[in-house]
Amino acid sequence: MLPTLNLTGDVVLAEHVSHRIGKVGRGDLVLVRSPVDPRRILTKRVVGMEGDTVCFYVDPMYSQTTVVPKGHVWIQGDNTYASSDSRHFGPLPYGLIQGKVFFRVWPPDGFGTLEQ
Amino acid sequence: MVGLIGRLWNLPYKSIVKEASGKTLAVTKFFCVLHITNTYLCTFALAYGPSMIPTFNLTGDMFLAERLSIKFGKVGPGDIVLLRSPESPRKVMVKRLLGLESHSVTYVVDPMNSDRCDTIVVPKGHVWVEGDNIYNSRDSRQFGPVPYSLLEGRVFCKIWPPKEFGSLMKSGMKDPDL
Repeated sequence: MLPTLNLTGDVVLAEHVSHRIGKVGRGDLVLVRSPVDPRRILTKRVVGMEGDTVCFYVDPMYSQTTVVPKGHVWIQGDNTYASSDSRHFGPLPYGLIQGKVFFRVWPPDGFGTLEQ
Repeated sequence: MVGLIGRLWNLPYKSIVKEASGKTLAVTKFFCVLHITNTYLCTFALAYGPSMIPTFNLTGDMFLAERLSIKFGKVGPGDIVLLRSPESPRKVMVKRLLGLESHSVTYVVDPMNSDRCDTIVVPKGHVWVEGDNIYNSRDSRQFGPVPYSLLEGRVFCKIWPPKEFGSLMKSGMKDPDL
């Protein structure tokens, strides 16, 4: 998730209300449970909501377009070169979203709201 | 009028406030315990719909579901589970778990029209769920294997209607000749 979040670990605040009332949208940083490993929680950005057409690069030459199915979201890490996200495991069911990140607490020079 | 004001003036406000806050605290504590139990231990739910006939009726059966098995990974094939629908995130559905990750599941693709069976290996981190009534059930045969984290509870006891009260049989593997 470079450059938004550091390599060595940032402490962020995430709220649990938005995803329950349906206020998660494009550009939001969210905490999601990994569909591949149920014990892990990932921090990624929502790039597409249900019904959106998402275009992504499978490799530098070849791009693919998919439509996000109903009840799912498309998430991607900000550092597209080194991120395991919807480009690898496909669109994610909305029910796996655990919270929306809105504030960074640590490190102190990164204190403040995170860009959308 | 003067008597009313006199009476109002002389009320023991301190003890009223003390009693009210004591009772409010007790009620709040009760709801906290209820919420914790509901979210982390055991919940009850009402299921309606045709997809789990004959296990559950069309018009609604109430049952108890516990949440600990899911958190500790102790569910297995044959268990009835509560899961959040991958198509409508606000809906919770009741289905039977048929396969965990890396299990090979054979299912009838479209039992109304043909007998064709298909076999799939459930990917890592996912489970395969199907309704008991395969003729009228929207499940993994339509929306594919479901991530394990969408499971919310394991059903262990039916509580309504009263004549069907009791723990639910854990079904073995489904009959492939169905």
